[in-house]
This record gives sequence, C-alpha cells and structure tokens, in this order.
Amino acid sequence: MAFLDINHLHKQFGEFVAVSGFDVQVEQGEFISLLGPSGCGKTTALRMIAGFERPSSGTIYIADQDVTDRPPNQRNIGMVFQSYALFPNMTVADNIGFGLKLKGVSGEVKRKRVGELLELIQLPDKGKNYPYQLSGGQQQRVALARALAIEPQVLLLDEPLSALDAKIRVELRSEIRRIQQKLHITTLYVTHDQEEAMSLSDRVVVMNKGVIEQVGTPFEIYNYPATAFTAHFVGQLNVLPVNVIDPVTGRATLHDQPLALPAPLQGVNGKPVSIALRPEELALGAVDDHNNLNGTVENITFLGSIVRVKVAVGPTGVVADLFNERQLVLPHIGETVTLNFPAHAAWVLEGQA
Amino acid sequence: MKRGSIWSWVWVAIGVIYFALPLIATFEFSLKAERGRYSLAAYRTVLSDPQFLRTFTFSVEIAILTIVFSLLLIVPTVYWVHLKLPNLRPLMEFVAFLPFVLPAVVLVFGLIRIYSRPPLALTNYAWSTNLLLIAAYMGLALPYMYRSVDTGMRAVDIRTLTEAAQSLGAGWPTIIGRVIFPNLRTALLSGTFLTFAIVIGEYTIASFLARPMFGPYLASLVRNKAYEPAALSIISFAITWIIMAAVQWVTQRTPGAGQVATGPR
Repeated sequence: MAFLDINHLHKQFGEFVAVSGFDVQVEQGEFISLLGPSGCGKTTALRMIAGFERPSSGTIYIADQDVTDRPPNQRNIGMVFQSYALFPNMTVADNIGFGLKLKGVSGEVKRKRVGELLELIQLPDKGKNYPYQLSGGQQQRVALARALAIEPQVLLLDEPLSALDAKIRVELRSEIRRIQQKLHITTLYVTHDQEEAMSLSDRVVVMNKGVIEQVGTPFEIYNYPATAFTAHFVGQLNVLPVNVIDPVTGRATLHDQPLALPAPLQGVNGKPVSIALRPEELALGAVDDHNNLNGTVENITFLGSIVRVKVAVGPTGVVADLFNERQLVLPHIGETVTLNFPAHAAWVLEGQA
Repeated sequence: MKRGSIWSWVWVAIGVIYFALPLIATFEFSLKAERGRYSLAAYRTVLSDPQFLRTFTFSVEIAILTIVFSLLLIVPTVYWVHLKLPNLRPLMEFVAFLPFVLPAVVLVFGLIRIYSRPPLALTNYAWSTNLLLIAAYMGLALPYMYRSVDTGMRAVDIRTLTEAAQSLGAGWPTIIGRVIFPNLRTALLSGTFLTFAIVIGEYTIASFLARPMFGPYLASLVRNKAYEPAALSIISFAITWIIMAAVQWVTQRTPGAGQVATGPR
C-alpha cells in the first residue's frame, strides 16, 4: 500500500457529482499536482483528503491508517490556502507556533522550532510582525511554515500562488519545491496552471469534470497525452482534420496536401480523422524525409525564447513554435512558406472525428 | 484654498451646529437651577437622589446581562450559518430586521399576554420579570448585534481561518476562543456598545414591565422637575461618551485587531 492511498473516492453534492472514481497512490516524499480547469473537482478531492469534506464513498489511507472518517484536526495534515488564512490577531511567530502549542510543545523548544522555520522560509527577522505588515508572498511563506511546523505526514496546497504577482509566483514556486525536497514531505498541490504543475511535480494528475483523465510524469502527460482533453489542456496543440487515404501505410491528406503518418493509422479509407501535433515539432522549410505543408503566414507572435508563427494551410490554421536565435530569419505576414514535421510527431486524437 | 474645501467646511459646520447646539443649550439650561447665576445645583440634586444610583446601576446590570446573553446566542449562531448554512443568510437578515418593524409597545404587550398566566407566569416575580426584560432587550438589540457580528465575520474570511485552525489540530473550543472571538473583537465591541446605549435609555418596555430602570426614572423626572432632567441628560451623555472612548482605546491597543488584512477577496 502506498503512503497516501486514495481509493474510489466519490463525492456528490445533491445531484452534482463533484468527484468520481478518484484513485491515486502517492509514495512517501512524492510531489503530486492535481491539474484541471476550475470546477473539475481537484479542490474537492484535496478537501476530502484534508477532512473538510466527507466523501460520499471511497477510502483514504495515510501511512496504513484509515483516516476517511477522521475529523481534520486528527489527521496530521498541513494545509496551505490560496488566501493565506493567517490568523490576523497573532504575530508571525505565534501563527507558526499555533499548531505546536496545541500539540503541547512550548517554551524554548517551541521558540527554537519557530526560529528554524523562519530561517527555512527566509524571513528570520519577521517573527514579531503581524500578517498585515507583510507582502502577499511573505504571508504565503509564513502560511507554509505554519503548515510545516506540526511536521505533517502530508502537505496539501490549494492554489497557493494564484493570488500573487507573476514574478513572486515563479520565485515562490521554486521555494516550495526546494523546501519540499529538503524535508522530503509528501505533497499534494492543486493548480489550474499547467506550467506550475509541470515544473513542480514528480507526477501530475489531470482532472476534468470530476474524473481523472491521466496520471503521469510531466514528460508523459505532455508528450503522450492519454486523452484528447489532456492533449488540449496541457500545452499548445494543433488539431489537423486529415483525410485517410490508406490506413495500413498511414497515408493521408490535409486539404489535398499529402501526409505520411504513423502506420497503421486508425481510421477508415476516405473518412476524416483528427491528428494532433505540438507546435514545437514543426519547423520552417522543406525537409526530404518529413511531411511538408505549404501555407501562408497569417500571424507572428514574438514570445522571447520562442517565436510563434501561425500558417494558414487551406482553411486550417497551423501554429509552429520556432526557437528564437539571433540569426533566425523571420517570414513576413502573407508570405508563402513550407512547414515540416516528422511522421512520428503526430498522433491520432481519439474521440474526435 | 479651493472652493470645494470651503464648502465642505461649511457643511461640517452646519452638521456640528445641528448636533451640538441642543447639547450646549441643554447644558446651559442645566446650570441655571439657581436664580441669576450658573451653578451645579441641579447636578448635586440628581447625584444625591438615591433613585438615580439605584435605577442607573440596575440598568447597567440589565444591559450587561443582555450583552452577555446576546453574544452567547448570536456569535455561535451567525458563525454556524456562515460556515454550514449559508443558504439561511436571507432568513437571518429578515429575522434581524423584525425588531425595527415591530414597535416596542407591541412587543411588550405580547410578552405580558403570554407570560402573565400559567404555564409560564413569569410576571409574578421580580426576578422572572427581569428575565422577560432581558429577553425583550435581546430582541431590541438583535439588529445591531447581528449586523456587527455578521460584518465582522465577513471581513475576516471566517471559514478559511476555521479550516486553517482545524488542520493545525484545533478543536471547536480552541477555534472559537483563540481564533474567532479575538478576530471579531472590534465588531463585537461596537455591537456591545450599541446594545448598552439602547438598554440604558429604554423607556417603553421597562415601564410596562414596571422594573426600576433608568429610562422610566428619567421620564418621571421630566414630568416633575425642570433643571434636573437636563442635568441628568448631560450626565448620561457624558457616561456614554466615556464608554465610547474606552471602546476606542481598547480596540486600538489590541495588536493587529483594527487591521483586517488576510488574503485577497
């Protein structure tokens, strides 16, 4: 049995099914993200693990203990909220020491532990401040320290960075990962931000409409999405409506331009199927062994490290992400160009015609 | 000086005159008890009247009991509604509004009709009539108490604070005592103060229930004397001000209390 073992978790609010068939096994020290759009059930799942919601059915085990029916204050779980939720009437040190005090840790031992945590979150001299005297990023660090103070078996974070500025968000993101790895604490992280989930996690749980779409490493989720939803939700995606010419050899056409796709191709002779293609797999120029598509440049977006070029191939817009380099020669809008991609880069999207 | 600011000073002056003039006039009048010169004679009479001290302390006692029972009833109720039954909020608003629509006379007659006969003949004894009195005042104070508690809870995101405390191992007594009450202190004090002011000056219910409250005493004085009621008004006004200043002082000295700064809304 895994360290955090969640089986067939189901939660219903009246008629509405918030979470269904939620099965996740988390190893000790692992960092798992629950990723999905708002309303996908990720927060409800987290709240059931924390004990704030009672599951309609299913079980939750932490370190071989069944905690499904335990109230939140008997679970030994650390929780960090989007709104920080620091106690406004207490100093930073008292906030961090709150859980310790309840555990009966007091005096010098408590003071020392609070000091260590303040060091850990790099706010060693803020102990006497009140929360309203700190910036948002600092408040969230304190909230993290407060959750870690009780040495929880599992750390839960519910969109902890959503309320912060972009720059602080990236900074604090790596902070969280550093601290998590240092303490080797089992962590569940809820976010709707795929970049956050990808960059932080050992594994990502992609959720949609209360159901798990896929569980995998960021590499697997991105490069081998199991469902159309995951493919669309994670990263940019081109969806090309191609006509199948010969499923056995993988021959097809996109608006009469021939394509060689991975064989055998799922699909029927003469029928359209959708194939998916990441923008970074496409490059400018014609290459012999690759598929080549001719089109007109519609739009160019400069994003710093990459340049996003949108090319109209017939009525279909195809987006190519080019790595920026100084000697790159950018096409002009309206210019006719050729895009190429290797056959193995494309895959058939299931459930889409 | 800009024109706008001149006008704003004019309006402030009008406001000050409107509120201060009757007070100054009353004060001036209260000093005229002795013919031809200003003196504190009226104040001496009032303060030496044993009735004054008796009714005033009785009213203070009733006010304190009203406040205690109101807090015990309203804080947990509003907390629970916020936390678990948010759908009941409109109903709560409606109930809290009732005392405004229901005249005190109607309220007190209703109480007397129901509680002056068996099985609950509460008006037969002084102590049980006091209970009725407190209950009636809890009703009168409900709109103010409810408003302040409700606003206070909304301002500090009580739900997330509760959950944060729970996840750190806190049970209900700890949550309410160490997280909820301290963060509501400002709101509770303002509700408490309003309740106090209402109970001290209340006349209708106190006189119909025939309890020796300060309000009826003040009214009887108005009927029989000229200068003493004015002096009494100034005294009760001063007491009110002292209490208000005390409330201010306490709330400002509480570290972090006046500040409501948790996360984004």
